[in-house]
Amino acid sequence: MLAKFSLRDLLAGGIFVLAGAYFALEALNYEVGTPFRMGPGFMPLLLGAVLAALGIGVAASGWEKPDREKPLPPSWRGIVLIVGVVIFFGATIRGLGFVPVVFVAAFASAMASRLNSPLFAALLAVGLTVLCTAIFVIGLGMTVPWFGPWLGQ
Amino acid sequence: MDIIGFLGLGFSVALDPINILYCFIGVLLGTLVGVLPGIGPTATIAMLLPITFSLSPAAALIMLAGIYYGAQYGGSTTAILINLPGESSSAVTAIDGYQMAKKGRAGHALATAALGSFFAGTVGTLLLAFFAPPLARAALNFGAPEYFALIVLGLLVSIALAHGSILKALAMIVLGLLLGMVGQDIYTGTPRFTFGVRELYSGLNFVSVAVGIFGVAEILRNLENEKGREVMVKSVSNLWLGKEEFKRIIAPVIRGTALGSILGILPGGGHILASFASYSAEKRLSKNPEEFGHGAIEGVAGPESANNAAAQTSFIPLMTLGIPAHPVMALMVGAFILQGITPGPNVINDQPALFWGIIASMWIGNLLLVMLNLPLIGLWVKMLTIPYRALFPAIVLFACIGCYSINQNVFDIYAIGFFGILGYGLIRLGCEPAPLLLGFVLGPLLEEHLRRAMIISRGDPMIFLERPISATLLGLALLAVLIAILPSIRKKRKEVFVEED
Amino acid sequence: MKKTIATLALATLALSGTAFAQAYPTKPITVVVPFSAGGPTDTVARLVAEVMSGDLGQQVVVQNVGGAGGTLGAGQVATAPNDGYTLLLHHIGMSTAPTLYRSLPYVPLTDFATIGLITSVPMTLVARKDFEPNTLEELLAYIKTNGENVTYAHAGIGSASQLCGMLLMESTQTVMTTVPYQGAGPAMTDIIGGQIDMICDQTTNTTSQIQAGEVKAYAVTSPERLANLPDLPTTKEAGLDLEIGVWHGLYAPAGTDPAIIERLETSLQAALTNETVIARFAELGTAPVTAEEATPAALTEMLTSQIELWRGVIEAAGVYAE
Repeated sequence: MLAKFSLRDLLAGGIFVLAGAYFALEALNYEVGTPFRMGPGFMPLLLGAVLAALGIGVAASGWEKPDREKPLPPSWRGIVLIVGVVIFFGATIRGLGFVPVVFVAAFASAMASRLNSPLFAALLAVGLTVLCTAIFVIGLGMTVPWFGPWLGQ
Repeated sequence: MDIIGFLGLGFSVALDPINILYCFIGVLLGTLVGVLPGIGPTATIAMLLPITFSLSPAAALIMLAGIYYGAQYGGSTTAILINLPGESSSAVTAIDGYQMAKKGRAGHALATAALGSFFAGTVGTLLLAFFAPPLARAALNFGAPEYFALIVLGLLVSIALAHGSILKALAMIVLGLLLGMVGQDIYTGTPRFTFGVRELYSGLNFVSVAVGIFGVAEILRNLENEKGREVMVKSVSNLWLGKEEFKRIIAPVIRGTALGSILGILPGGGHILASFASYSAEKRLSKNPEEFGHGAIEGVAGPESANNAAAQTSFIPLMTLGIPAHPVMALMVGAFILQGITPGPNVINDQPALFWGIIASMWIGNLLLVMLNLPLIGLWVKMLTIPYRALFPAIVLFACIGCYSINQNVFDIYAIGFFGILGYGLIRLGCEPAPLLLGFVLGPLLEEHLRRAMIISRGDPMIFLERPISATLLGLALLAVLIAILPSIRKKRKEVFVEED
Repeated sequence: MKKTIATLALATLALSGTAFAQAYPTKPITVVVPFSAGGPTDTVARLVAEVMSGDLGQQVVVQNVGGAGGTLGAGQVATAPNDGYTLLLHHIGMSTAPTLYRSLPYVPLTDFATIGLITSVPMTLVARKDFEPNTLEELLAYIKTNGENVTYAHAGIGSASQLCGMLLMESTQTVMTTVPYQGAGPAMTDIIGGQIDMICDQTTNTTSQIQAGEVKAYAVTSPERLANLPDLPTTKEAGLDLEIGVWHGLYAPAGTDPAIIERLETSLQAALTNETVIARFAELGTAPVTAEEATPAALTEMLTSQIELWRGVIEAAGVYAE
């Protein structure tokens, strides 16, 4: 039975159903209102339901169309490092300051590629730190400390 | 004085060497910040406002306007080269522009964007010069019901953005609409889907969503198989457009300019629709729509022209009525006031030299822009020869720094990560990101205008059909759906007939 | 080099707080404006900051931290280091937020040190130009008879135009249909376009439209008539007990060294007598406050009384932001 479905469509549909259900259920906490004064819950409730319905449709459209080609496996190393870098950047930019954050972020994201050696990543990180500091902090006058309060500055 | 006299006055102001210099600085800065993802014209103009204090009003406003339309152009460069759109308009350019770049035709895409933008800018400026006041008046006929109808039409027409499953494209649009509703409801102030995080009260940042779902997702995809294929074609043959390509872009550029000019005048969000609408139109009219999404030059020419025309005509409500059409124009209002001029209907009469000077400078600015950017194309394309493994960390950094610099809001950065993962997952499952982005920018507008229209009509939905403009637009929307469905019905019919034979 | 400066700074700090304050400011000062750039409050801030920069000998940088009706930026300053390098320039919303936002993460009166009032921007009652009533008296009668059929635009939750609307409805004991917009620009667009009936908004947004005859003006909410709109009566003259001005104040985080506050106060007062500031303020339809009002005491008094006033009005209207 499952083998007859396209797994991609099934998964995509599943995501849409989940997202739609989340928005619709959460919208129930907000006032739906009247046609004259629609409340904050009206549109999300309606659209959430529509999205869930579309999700079922997407899943159903994969019936008898099993995936022919197998997609490449995702690069877990890439995902963890890139997303990790983004979160690290957000969490520490105020505390550590521009220069250290950019350096660490550049090094870590360069390591996301299997082709980059640690030495190359470090060199790239130095280069990018200089470049970004020059463009954003010096050139554009971005209001962010070079070294943040966590470093005793 | 007649219009020629006024234009003469305008050019005498705009051709003043000091003003030309500031115009050049403006478009140069605009191009640069447009190229950097994240930092857009809004942030740059806000940062530069203090500097303009010491300038004459004309020089200050000419420079700020230059930043705005310079950034519109620069933004498409990044979208084409590294798939990082900084604005909703360049998100459309990214669809086919980036595919062209991947196939080694980045030079063609950039040249098309430059030429299309210049043509559109010229037409937009002429419209501004000759018809600004009546056009602004006409745009005032658009109230909440009309905008609602226009957005519905835009959404339905834009299903053409997808080159895969229509069902998935629809779902992505709706998901985008819902994501656009995160934040404080403007009618009641109720925070929605914010998990109690105050930083989310003003909603998700467009740049974060776009950079995540386009840029980061693309990086994650390219990391899947690094040895198997090169991301970019290294050999870039010729940069310039051949005769064949030139012929292909003429009609899209003209249509895009027309669409963009009209939509740009509408202060309630028309400019957002311009590039999406043009892309849909080109795909519909094309003889080979299957090329779209895989590097169709028309998919760059049309939207880029539409976008630039709209950027130009969105000055019309500001200059003639003092009404800002979008946040950048609101900043321009601030710049006027800091210079001691309150923008309003009187500017055109009280400050003719300034009014016409700015208009004339726009054309000069567009000329400077094309002169600046055509030679730069070679440089940009060279940039693509940087190995991808060195380029992508820079993209990640620029995205984070750029987003952070807009509002100093760290949640904007977390959003990049979230949408990077979401976009990557959905793209792997065969869903395309452009419709989601369209939904995201239009979602808040759709809801805002629907609810406002219903308040004004005291809950009577007939208001949408009683008002002629909104009724016409909704009629067109219905027609668009019918046209989209008809071919598949006809095809089915044929299949049925074939079987009967 | 850096090390020497750091040692020096440390030594100065160790010597005495006042000595440190006398050296203040040694680096650029950030003034947070809790609204987006280009708006009326931002304009006021930039005009004042420019002149204060000259007086203090350090750049005073305006930083826009918009969002959540101004509470995001104010909240950020409330928790900022109280070293005098992060200030807040906020308007009347400082006094309405405690009532409008029931879970405000800061307390205006205790989390901030006041520096001084800056200006109070008057508001004007305007309507689409083909709106029936011609005088304020007719307008009030019209609202009384047509009530909810009159549409009143405002620029969003917590905006000055919403507050003025609440006050108008309270003082006339009427109810109109309020239509929220995202900012004053779009609201004004629909007034000019005749899509909606009326609004009460700051002179910053309305004066040029009134002068051009794009909208019909009824009254100004200040005690005196305006120099650039001399024919427009005040609400009081027209017999309506409604006085409101969008007052702006400058704040520092609580616990800031009094010597620093004093330095900033002097600098603010100097800025408010600057000719350019006076001229630009006049074009906005407003004027700087007097030197007695540009003081911590005056701002504290204003803030205290306004919080009380708006608590009553907002609770009576039953409108909250969260």
